[in-house]
Amino acid sequence: MKRFLAFLFVSVLTLTTVLAVVSGSVVTSKYGMVAAANEYAARIGAEILERGGNALDAAIAVSFALGVAEPYASGIGGEGYAIVRLANGERYAVDFKSVAPGLASYDKIEGKLSSINYTAKGACVPGVVAGAAEVWKLGARMPWAELIKPSIDLARNGLVVNETFAGIVSDNYERLLENAPEFLKDGMLAWEPGDVFTNPTLADTLELIAKEGPDAFYKEKIAEDIEKFMLEHDGFMRKSDLENYKAIVREALHGTYRGYDLYVPHPPVSGPQLLAILNILENFNLSAFSWDDPLAVHIIQQVLVLEDVDRRLYISDPAFFDLPTEGFISKEYAKTRLMELNLSKALDPNTYFDHAGNAYEFVEGKTYEEVLLKGAKVSSSDPMDSYEFHSTTHFSVVDRYGNAVAWTQTLSSFFGTSMYVDGFFLNNEIGNFASTYREGDVINLEPGKRPRTTICPTIIEKDGKVKYVLGTPGGGRIISTITQLVVDLIDFGLSPEEAVKAPKFVGYASYKDLRMEKGFPENTVRFLEEVLGHKVKLYEYPDLFFGGPNIVAVEDDGTMIGVGSIRRNGAAACPEK
Amino acid sequence: MKKTIPLLMVVLLILGNLLFADSTPTQLPVLEAPVLIVSAGQSPGALQFSVVAKMAKLPHQFEKLLKAEDFDPTKYKTLVLVVGASSKGLGAAGIDIEEEVKRVIALAEKAKANKIPVVICHLEGGTRRGPMSDRILDALAPYASIFLVKTDSDKDGKFKTLSENLKVPIVYFEKTSDLKGIIQQYFIY
Repeated sequence: MKRFLAFLFVSVLTLTTVLAVVSGSVVTSKYGMVAAANEYAARIGAEILERGGNALDAAIAVSFALGVAEPYASGIGGEGYAIVRLANGERYAVDFKSVAPGLASYDKIEGKLSSINYTAKGACVPGVVAGAAEVWKLGARMPWAELIKPSIDLARNGLVVNETFAGIVSDNYERLLENAPEFLKDGMLAWEPGDVFTNPTLADTLELIAKEGPDAFYKEKIAEDIEKFMLEHDGFMRKSDLENYKAIVREALHGTYRGYDLYVPHPPVSGPQLLAILNILENFNLSAFSWDDPLAVHIIQQVLVLEDVDRRLYISDPAFFDLPTEGFISKEYAKTRLMELNLSKALDPNTYFDHAGNAYEFVEGKTYEEVLLKGAKVSSSDPMDSYEFHSTTHFSVVDRYGNAVAWTQTLSSFFGTSMYVDGFFLNNEIGNFASTYREGDVINLEPGKRPRTTICPTIIEKDGKVKYVLGTPGGGRIISTITQLVVDLIDFGLSPEEAVKAPKFVGYASYKDLRMEKGFPENTVRFLEEVLGHKVKLYEYPDLFFGGPNIVAVEDDGTMIGVGSIRRNGAAACPEK
Repeated sequence: MKKTIPLLMVVLLILGNLLFADSTPTQLPVLEAPVLIVSAGQSPGALQFSVVAKMAKLPHQFEKLLKAEDFDPTKYKTLVLVVGASSKGLGAAGIDIEEEVKRVIALAEKAKANKIPVVICHLEGGTRRGPMSDRILDALAPYASIFLVKTDSDKDGKFKTLSENLKVPIVYFEKTSDLKGIIQQYFIY
């Protein structure tokens, strides 16, 4: 009875506080839109829009809310990247990737980096609070504290646990019981669907950040608490690392695809990779196929593999390397990559890393004829890569004024290190550096370096107007899923809902098989296996392995369509007016 | 006093049997301690059962990967197999689903041969039901003396059907924390 009353209280409280917004898996509106992996967070963002906030305000509120509602996937102990489009046409890339602490080095770690994944040593310096502050400075309208208040209330009053929450807690129960029992129900049990989850400790922490600003996290009490925790648990991070942390704001990286303009992140995340993939695909008349045509699947999957091979060479922290990003995203370079494809046979997975390109040759704008006639050789690529997790979360926001935000944030694996400080989990991004030192590798662990990951929040415009805001979690599957969203929307003419729901597949150089969600026609799977030589591995539909994409699409008449992350009980939400 | 408590428990169990007979034509087994709790599928469900067993002060031993040859039937009076297949857990243990099925069947067979009742429990709800978990469940069901099942785990009625077909009692609970009361009610210790 007590549980029922608590459930009723939380439900009524939720409804009465955000009564002026509408939410669901697919929602349309002309007044602004938020699409996210969690309905509480989406509704909080829509409430901010309803109160007169813009997309930047809503995005900041959603970021904090996701840390409360999906504490396993992201939070203030994590990191991320956002693409911000202002109504005046300016487009920014906000890099709040985490940073390796000053004390982190291979010689202080016994064995591979994976051995410290779930220890205090596995945490990099978090960037979410600094990232939110930079977005706020770019053009938010509402006071900082007001954007955090809904999350404080959510953490204090509680939320009803859904199946995704319960399932992820259950999957990680052993580690949580060992490292963060205070997060569990009654200090020892897994949260179950229907339970009311509260986090008063996190509410107190957020109150401090709301009141004192980001300094509370990077220079004051929370920084001190993190250092104390690190000293007690033999971790690398110190208060000085937090004091030195800076989120970086640049102009967004720009590319085009069939007349659309794409705005994506810079390295060390996968914006350039997405543009490189689309540059190759642009050479095919994909609209002549359907989304489930085996030849279309083959072409896209092979391109994904090729550019994943390139990613490992050309994406890292730009502060540490002179990366050939301009060459990597050039249309001329894409033609040389096109030449690697075999339309009638899948590449032998054992030779994937023999198919690396040489993007350096294209940095100065040469044509592919010039480069290849000169006899340039391709680079070699390293088959080793760090393990990529399928946690993370993404949300998309568009307001009625022409501002838009695509924002992806993460703890790396679910619950990160599982180290729990002040009501939040610390990320385990250190696992995204090379597992052991490798001479010449662009992702060797170094103090102050940002780890390479595959996240790619994306804004797509048509004729200078926001058309799609999208992204997904999913580790090594992120770029595959985002590519399919783009192609499904632009080439195959699927609606945003159909694009999110369509079964997904993966092209990733670490996988020797073609991993697909069930739902493709039997003939497509047979053709891929028997004619094109793929080894297909089928997953149930839907499967979180392929991410949890969400989209906000804007129609020509200004109507916004929001599609939440159906693969993890997500939702879209909008103001009623 | 020490002797009267177990006697009282047996009387209560017999009464429980009579009451239970109203809904299911089955006999409740006598579940005595100490209890051996073993994972069947390497999901965290078995660990959760052992945490609740600790809350209920049930004398028990928890083993994730115990093999039949290491199972000493003289040490335990009840075997609890907590079903829940996890690819991650199986991968971490370095075994595949077929090896896991063989391992838990061998344990259940040894328990039966030594007249030790076998409790089959599923407590991770519908999200932990799938082809792999059902593969283990189907293999173990014939050895079950009783099913302890979270209501949410049996949305499709599979456990209910197994219970009826095999004439094995089934006890449902809503939340994992409710398992504490079930343990206190059905185990003698």
